[in-house]
Amino acid sequence: MKPSKLKPAQRVISWVLQLVIITILGYASYLKLSDHAAEIDLFSKLGMEPAGRFIIGFIEAAACVLLLLPNAAVHGAILTFGVMLGALIGHSTKIGFVGMTPLAALLLIIISTVVIYLRRKQIPSIARMLN
Amino acid sequence: MSASVDLHKISKFANLAIPSLAGLFFLGGHFVSFYFHFLTVVFLILTIVNLFYMFVQKKHAILRNFGILGQARYILESVGPEMRQYLFASDTEERPFSRVERSDIYRKSKGVDSASSFGSQLNFDNSEIKVRHSMYPSDKEDIVQFSLTFGEERGIEQTFTIRKPYMVSAMSYGALGVNAVKALSRGAKMAGIAMNTGEGGIPKYHMEEGGDLIFQMGTAKFGVRNEDGTLNDEKLKKLAAEPSIKMIEVKLSQGAKPGKGGLLPKEKISKEISELRGVPMNRDVVSPAHHKECVCKKSTVAFIKHVQDVSELPVGIKLCVGLTSEFRQLVEEMMLQDVFPDYIAIDGAEGGTGAAPKAFMDGYGMPLMPALYSVNNILTELGVRDRTKIIAAGKLINSSQQFMALALGADAIYSARGFMLALGCIQSMLCGSNTCPVGITTHDPDLQRGLVVEDKAKRIVNYVNGLEHDFYEMLAASGIRDAKDINIDQLYIPNDTALADQIEYLLEKHQSSLIS
Repeated sequence: MKPSKLKPAQRVISWVLQLVIITILGYASYLKLSDHAAEIDLFSKLGMEPAGRFIIGFIEAAACVLLLLPNAAVHGAILTFGVMLGALIGHSTKIGFVGMTPLAALLLIIISTVVIYLRRKQIPSIARMLN
Repeated sequence: MSASVDLHKISKFANLAIPSLAGLFFLGGHFVSFYFHFLTVVFLILTIVNLFYMFVQKKHAILRNFGILGQARYILESVGPEMRQYLFASDTEERPFSRVERSDIYRKSKGVDSASSFGSQLNFDNSEIKVRHSMYPSDKEDIVQFSLTFGEERGIEQTFTIRKPYMVSAMSYGALGVNAVKALSRGAKMAGIAMNTGEGGIPKYHMEEGGDLIFQMGTAKFGVRNEDGTLNDEKLKKLAAEPSIKMIEVKLSQGAKPGKGGLLPKEKISKEISELRGVPMNRDVVSPAHHKECVCKKSTVAFIKHVQDVSELPVGIKLCVGLTSEFRQLVEEMMLQDVFPDYIAIDGAEGGTGAAPKAFMDGYGMPLMPALYSVNNILTELGVRDRTKIIAAGKLINSSQQFMALALGADAIYSARGFMLALGCIQSMLCGSNTCPVGITTHDPDLQRGLVVEDKAKRIVNYVNGLEHDFYEMLAASGIRDAKDINIDQLYIPNDTALADQIEYLLEKHQSSLIS
């Protein structure tokens, strides 16, 4: 079954938001995968250095790729939502709310929620119910 | 209490377990290893979705009561039709065409021998019509080659002769994708049969292959209309002059939705469709329930005459019979004006390639066999059977069904779905949704990719050859030398069939009119 199409206005909004996510998430992924000092410090606090940093970095990169594909964007948004939920857990339990990173995570959660909402009919299990 | 699984209990347990697990993994993430939070996140999301299902959304009662486990129902339900078709449906019970009927066509179209063993799977009780054979079958070499000439009754210049009793029934470009139209028209040309264009406007893709075409003029007259939906004589004349257009068919009604028009929404009107159909792009186009020119029997017959005069080709009408008395009056009007269509195509209510509202698809119109019998009966009774031809349409995909229609008075056979099955249709019944999995009724290039024109055109040829082979075999078995001699005596008609009812009904009516 083909995913249902969005209305033109919804499509424009969704794509703008997807590009915002890709910019922020892509940058975060790049920092993690390129052994940036701040990230190493952060993941040391979580006790996930270095394997966890690479895993999260790859998941973020994968989410960016999915967000670029029209038919898979909604899955990219769900993945973003999940990773950022984990980030918030990390900040609230181990790292603390300092600097821009937790704010970025919060922003990404909100934006990805909007994208998921706009593209909700493209989630396979929900699309089945709506037909 | 029965021993069955208590789904309510299970779902309650699951609804409790999901947030509990999320909490447990959270503790694991906090005290043991942060890696546990991968699972925390998954179960948190499941919890959110579950809460949404149970307390926010209001559309689905099952989800509200049982939460995320209730979703299994929708997933199972959505794969139900495929499951039933693949695993559980018996070979004879599927509708509209059972596997037995379909596989006969698949075999014919692939050129595989269709002989089967150990008996028929069909019924031999009082629900099925069978063909009677003769004790003295005729020799095959004595049988006259089938030939039927449309327009011979009027003595017009451009008559049209067919040498096989089959024609591809109306399917437009629009209903079918480009590849399907090409494969069908190429196959029909190679097989030497004519093809109806359907009411899709100027049949550009049909004409590309150069086969014999019957141009169908629906109630909206796509391709030959004026802005207000009336006939544009000039456009019709121009189209009729095309070498591949051999006949014109005025569609009065169709089996899938008798008495009903249609609507072409403006979103579906591409530039190409707008040009081919002759309609503006910026608004919905309504196909009325009847031709603007045809409001009574008088105007209908006059319109047929007008189309005959303008096109100078054989002109037929296509209708699904509703009231037989109305049809009788129409024929009487034809006699009065001395105008007869060159053929009358009778579409049974079981006809079905057109998309239609369920109420019309399921509940309207006379089924083919009784309708055909009535039409033949009325024409014969009024003494004008030799002024026109009858074409039968409606689920006539197999040789024996087609032979029955011929026995009931048809001169030739129309089939649409038979040829779709030969093209590879698997009866997934998605024709209206642009998602046809075999690429026949879709415009999606990804799905059309699967339909290779050259290969499928050959299947059409094989199918026609298989049908023709059966046709002559059946003529021989019935002891007949000329197809024109097939008649109702060749049929065994049990009392419980719709056809038997109709015969009895007309007989009673006839007798009472003789008495009064």
